Amino acid sequence: MEEEKGATGSINLSLNGKEEEINLSGQVHHLPCCIKFNGPCTVSQYFKPKLKGMQIDGLAVEEAHFRGRKLQGTTISLPNGYAGFVLAKNNSGKRKACDVSEGNSNDWEMKAKFDKLTYWNHDTPPSKDDPFLRSFHWFTVVEALHKQVKPEDLATIDADQ
Amino acid sequence: MGSEAPLPKWASTPCIMGIDEAGRGPVLGPMVYGCLYCARSYQKTLATLNFADSKTLKEEKREELFENLKADESIGWSVDVIDPRELSAKMLKKSVIQIVISFSFSFVYFSFLLQDFTRLIINRNKVNLNEISHDSAIGLINRVLNMGVLLTEILLEYSDQSKGITRFLILSAAQEVRIPYFLSISAAVIAIWRNLEITLKVYLDTVGDADKYRIKLSERFPSIKFVVAKKADSLYPVVSGASIVAKVTRDRALREWVLEETSENMHRSFGSGYPGDPETKAWLAHHKHSIFGFPTLVRFSWGTCTSYYKDMVEVLWYLLKHSNSICFLTLPHNYAWPFLHNVYEVLRLKKPDRRSI
Repeated sequence: MEEEKGATGSINLSLNGKEEEINLSGQVHHLPCCIKFNGPCTVSQYFKPKLKGMQIDGLAVEEAHFRGRKLQGTTISLPNGYAGFVLAKNNSGKRKACDVSEGNSNDWEMKAKFDKLTYWNHDTPPSKDDPFLRSFHWFTVVEALHKQVKPEDLATIDADQ
Repeated sequence: MGSEAPLPKWASTPCIMGIDEAGRGPVLGPMVYGCLYCARSYQKTLATLNFADSKTLKEEKREELFENLKADESIGWSVDVIDPRELSAKMLKKSVIQIVISFSFSFVYFSFLLQDFTRLIINRNKVNLNEISHDSAIGLINRVLNMGVLLTEILLEYSDQSKGITRFLILSAAQEVRIPYFLSISAAVIAIWRNLEITLKVYLDTVGDADKYRIKLSERFPSIKFVVAKKADSLYPVVSGASIVAKVTRDRALREWVLEETSENMHRSFGSGYPGDPETKAWLAHHKHSIFGFPTLVRFSWGTCTSYYKDMVEVLWYLLKHSNSICFLTLPHNYAWPFLHNVYEVLRLKKPDRRSI
């Protein structure tokens, strides 16, 4: 297959004239396993998380089963200023006859949005020490790294030295 | 669940209790432990109540006998219903792999000559069915003792568990093997093969050994005399009674089971639940789901399920606990990966199934 050099893509996060935004908050699950499948599935009919009425590190523990394994997890809100999106390749709408075929299209469209997600551990209850939760610390680092450095900041550093 | 009346007078005289299980073999539904107790002096009367091994009785007869013994004020009973979700979850607990390499990176290429070894420790903290059963029996004894019943003798059925359980034992028990690490791929295979050998020996030593079970119980409850015997459910009326309690409870639990899943076109013709039952097979085939496997009524850890897995979407589980010291990094990258991959292979139940007797 021929590949175009410097291919570009786009992500469209607007509603695109759709009636209403689909909010998947509370229906997004992060499992401690790799499911070798991509596509739609009747999740809500089979996956039935239950609140255990117990808290660890201030996290409300939930319990569910998947493929016979006991999962314990918790629902968390995404950090302030962040949002979750479900993207899909844009294959509706105008496509020029000779243009890239469906598979090559690099235009993404927002299908749904979420601001909460549930992550699950196999056997172990959720805690503040879970790598998944700790990965959120990175956001703070990123913010600091990308913050615009103002001349005053530099001046204070100079002064310190 | 059990008899709930205030403690009768006879409970403070020496009592005898029988314990039996129902639904150990089936691939779906709960496993039930039942117990029945009465005063020693009541034993003779008990023998006239026509209790027999629940397997030899017709369902109506069992139900009738169960109603009779419930109404009998000289008999007490109790059950422990173990949810299939609990069975699956305990038997599929997370495994911990620890690889300890006593060598530094620079020695990798000399290892062939030096015959050095890497230690691969696969620590499976899975609980096998025997442990679950024993815990359930112990739970029942504790419950009855806490009610204030003066138990002096307990009779337990020790079923012949050799066949169906082999594969679970292979999967259980902590294992430790030494393998040469210059053979990255084949070493893992050998390790696994040796693993199985090692546990097979463990299995021969322990399973079927009713005496060990008796000793375990006696140590826990020193004041009680224990009799663990095969065919106890047909030899002793008090165990026959317990087998009826357990069997009827299991049958009712399955009959009244509310499926957790809300998918359409599910039905409840489970059959007996035994893997060989054509009705059960048909139910399993009809209810398998490419992503979720089966409804949670099914015991996923059973070997029967494995044959359905090949039509399902593959699911890989993380085995490594982050708290463990894993020294993969000291191996060259291309050595380490296939190694890990092979370990994955085994723990997806493939190998043990092929090796089951």
